[in-house]
Amino acid sequence: MPSLPRSIAHLDMDAFFASVELLRYPQLRGKAVVVGGRRAVAPIEGDDFPHLRGYSGRGVITTATYEARALGVHSGMGLMKAAQLAPDAILLPADFDAYRHYSRLFKAAARAIAPQMEDRGIDEIYLDLSALNPAGSHDGARALALELQQAVRSATGLSCSIGIAPNKLLAKLCSDLDKPAGITIVAADDIPTRIWPLPAKRINGIGPKAAARLEGLGIATIGQLAAADPAWLQAHFGSRYGQWLHDAAHGHDSRPVVTESEPKSLSRETTFERDLHPRQDKAELSAHFTRLCEQLAADLARKGYLGKTIGLKLRFDNFRTVTRDQTLPAPTGDARVIRRAAGECARRVPLERRIRLLGVRASALSRRDAQPEASFAQPLQAELFA
Amino acid sequence: MLLFTAPRDALLAPLQSVSGIVEKRHTLPILSNVLIEKKGDALTLLATDIEIQIRNRTTAALGADDVAITVGARKLQDILRALPDTADVSLTLDDKRITLKAGKSRFQLQTLPAADYPRLAPPEGEGVHFTTTQKAFKKQLAQVQYAMAQQDIRYYLNGLLLVVAGDMLRMVATDGHRLAYAASPLVGDYARTDVILPRKTVVELARQLADSDDALEVTIVGNQIVFRFGHIELISKLIDGKFPDYERVIPQGHPKLVKASRLALLQSLQRAAILTNEKFRGVRLMLSEGSLKLVSTNAEQEEAQEELEVDYSGDALDIGFNVTYLLDVLNNLSANEIEIRFNDGNASALFGLADDPDFKYVVMPMRI
Repeated sequence: MPSLPRSIAHLDMDAFFASVELLRYPQLRGKAVVVGGRRAVAPIEGDDFPHLRGYSGRGVITTATYEARALGVHSGMGLMKAAQLAPDAILLPADFDAYRHYSRLFKAAARAIAPQMEDRGIDEIYLDLSALNPAGSHDGARALALELQQAVRSATGLSCSIGIAPNKLLAKLCSDLDKPAGITIVAADDIPTRIWPLPAKRINGIGPKAAARLEGLGIATIGQLAAADPAWLQAHFGSRYGQWLHDAAHGHDSRPVVTESEPKSLSRETTFERDLHPRQDKAELSAHFTRLCEQLAADLARKGYLGKTIGLKLRFDNFRTVTRDQTLPAPTGDARVIRRAAGECARRVPLERRIRLLGVRASALSRRDAQPEASFAQPLQAELFA
Repeated sequence: MLLFTAPRDALLAPLQSVSGIVEKRHTLPILSNVLIEKKGDALTLLATDIEIQIRNRTTAALGADDVAITVGARKLQDILRALPDTADVSLTLDDKRITLKAGKSRFQLQTLPAADYPRLAPPEGEGVHFTTTQKAFKKQLAQVQYAMAQQDIRYYLNGLLLVVAGDMLRMVATDGHRLAYAASPLVGDYARTDVILPRKTVVELARQLADSDDALEVTIVGNQIVFRFGHIELISKLIDGKFPDYERVIPQGHPKLVKASRLALLQSLQRAAILTNEKFRGVRLMLSEGSLKLVSTNAEQEEAQEELEVDYSGDALDIGFNVTYLLDVLNNLSANEIEIRFNDGNASALFGLADDPDFKYVVMPMRI
């Protein structure tokens, strides 16, 4: 059965974390603000905001306002480097609880209009608008996008950018073309004029390494990529990725909008302020460890899951990362059981270096309500140390 | 450079005494190697898995040069084992390769430098030191080690509790469902020291100790324990954890005393075990005057019944157990008669020996 052309929207919140901070501190509007680093010990009082200047530590920028981006800083950049570029920018600590709160609000507002929603993280979603705009008209798409922006704004006070296209790949690319608060609508016919002139690295899935290799082969734009012989691409990039590059450049993408996704695992991790020594900093490590397990247990409880496999992730000061996991006799959501199992995992790792990052993961998830009640017919072994 | 020339077994025996702890999979490649060190006429073989280290020192080496090198333990052992047991073997080291020759066979093995080999330093400082015989320690281990947990998340149960106190050495092992306890006298008067030996150390000791009156020297310092016997020095890290209070779960004054033939009960249980549920392994014990009945059923509703004469004169009792826990204790004892004490169908059972008050085994029931 030939499928009807789809209408897929990608909705991306504009400078999400920074914008949430601006709701709290409206006096900072129009200023260069970056969000990153640790939660502040004390709340910020009055207008006495910390500046990037003089920052020392290892935090990275999670979001920068557009004013800050104009100074050359961007998310992912180390705060100390950013301090050199924009010493006067205001530095706000990340407050993930607040971001999660606004994330839930904007998703609920979008879902009220377009129920076919795929959650892609804290600040972006895909929406399948095919049923809402059956004619697939440009005007119908624009009206829906305006309605979505309005709904998000009234629910959160925040702006978002929307791309609408026949598939997720193009929609994601489009939402980024006119930020902030933009609407970009692209139909299949528009691909040669609107998409092909863009740099190849704009495609989600062509990272810096692939882009550099393409550039080395004389391919800078999506149009040049589309013109390349697929067999030649496959010879250079392998059969799967080569084919994907060809399809992507032609705007082909048949991935559905996945509305229901069961998580495979839940995890919590933290990078320490300074690398911790397994023995000298044992007490501190242990406290972090316990807290992560408690947070993970809370995540499991909130989302209604139990985990049967508990995993540990360690990154050492040389950036080597090791993971170990252990499968429990029965699924658990109990922080103490998680802590014990993860502690067991830790005993299987030779701890000979300082530790940079510690993470705890629960996988082999099952729904809490799906646990069978202990049946009376089943034999029950009594415990010695009850 | 000649390291060694001797009959095959003069090398194979010490190698086997250290290679048992070499793990097949580990993070450091050098840990699959054995360290061979020659100093004067002393030949030392040493293996470790970071938690345990075993050293065997013999005086069998030839040649004038002192040398230390590491080579794959399993490969060396496989080669030696595959050679005829009458073969004379020579080991030479040239340019980072070890050459093993025996008759017309010749093997060249890669090496790694001895300096890179991780070694547990023998602990220093004041500790607890006692001496016993290999036989006595081995027997006591056998009385309790089968009750250790395996891969329990309560990591401190995956080992054996050793308590040195007064003039007694106590050993306790438990998996949370059953517990084995054995005590033996020591010469001396010690302040109480509790340590937990890792499971692997216990298994290795039980394998290596001989049924002889030769001395076993034990030293506990910090988080390490050292066993010295024969040519062997075994150093093990200890499990850092709090072992549960075993005294609390050993029942006092269970009123119903049953005396039974160990072998008769073992054989009846072995037969009944055939038709227990594969997953739960439950067996019912029905006690009445002079008689013990055993009943088991499986998922297919097949049934086994056994009855044996016992010395019992109390009230009737109906109680269920995991048959494995009962077989374990009966298999690991040698006495002809055993004593079992019960209270009621929900309480633990206490197994003991009439002639040995220093052995106790507690097992919790199973509601079937």
